[in-house]
Amino acid sequence: MATSEKQVMVVGIDDSEHSTYALEWTLDHFFVPFASNPPFKLFIVHAKPTATSAVGLAGPGAAEVLPYVDADLKKIASRVVEKAKDLCISKSVHDAVVEVVEGDARNVLCEAVEKHHASVLAVGSHGYGAIKRAVLGSVSDYCSHHAHCSVMIVKKPKIKH
Amino acid sequence: MATEKQVMVIAMDDSPHSMYALEWTLDHLFAPFGSVQPFHLVVVHARPVPISVLQLAGPAATAEIIPMMEIDLKKAALRITEKVKDLCNKKSVKEVSMDVMEGDPRNVLCEAVEKHNASVLVVGSHGYGPMKRAVLGSVSDYCAHHAHCSVMIVKKPKT
Repeated sequence: MATSEKQVMVVGIDDSEHSTYALEWTLDHFFVPFASNPPFKLFIVHAKPTATSAVGLAGPGAAEVLPYVDADLKKIASRVVEKAKDLCISKSVHDAVVEVVEGDARNVLCEAVEKHHASVLAVGSHGYGAIKRAVLGSVSDYCSHHAHCSVMIVKKPKIKH
Repeated sequence: MATEKQVMVIAMDDSPHSMYALEWTLDHLFAPFGSVQPFHLVVVHARPVPISVLQLAGPAATAEIIPMMEIDLKKAALRITEKVKDLCNKKSVKEVSMDVMEGDPRNVLCEAVEKHNASVLVVGSHGYGPMKRAVLGSVSDYCAHHAHCSVMIVKKPKT
């Protein structure tokens, strides 16, 4: 077929600076240099934690708190979406799609890759050391082992000494 | 101000996974951009040190073998260099340099990133499960945690 279908790149974002940095880095390196004709179609996916999973860590007596937690999470999600959209527009990327999917980030991102037949998944990295990873888990680690496409881990540079 | 080209380091060993990673990178990150390559590509081959290979072989291996291993490793490095050049030519990618460094791939790759000021390090993945990783170690894992730049892990799709 003559017209090459655009490749799909999925970028996973959460509410952290690392994600924003990752999105910006990706836009700068794979979209900005190509101005009007970027080689990838960009899907930005925000995994919104479920209220129950966020509260689960808090302990018993949490049921009454659920609606507030949910409202909070919704606010965070829309803030994340707004930031992402603004960032894309500031880099002149107009056909990016921003999605919010509820669930654990690990699964949400791997499913997004399948759904959009992405060839690349880009994620930020909190730069946790070994202990924190064991306790908090690492989405970038999980994705690099389980996503069915190439995985790019974008790291916010540590201040060089 | 003319923008300096970004540098992409890609790891190359003697496995089909590396070749696949190089081909994937050329196809997805170079070919679509036509004549203006977005990155300067540096292909880094980490040549194992004979002593380290001997250790895997066990006590029966003696020091007399070392010169022969050196020759073998040199031949492998040359073969890899040839394959890389051919592939890049085929994909019309001209700005490529090849760097063969001796040592453990984990360190070699992270040092190459520093040396070339790379913005991206691309590695293939042998796709080992958690057991094999624990025993053999995983270069892609190490690099993902320790390289000072973004790391792209290219996986050969399981058929």
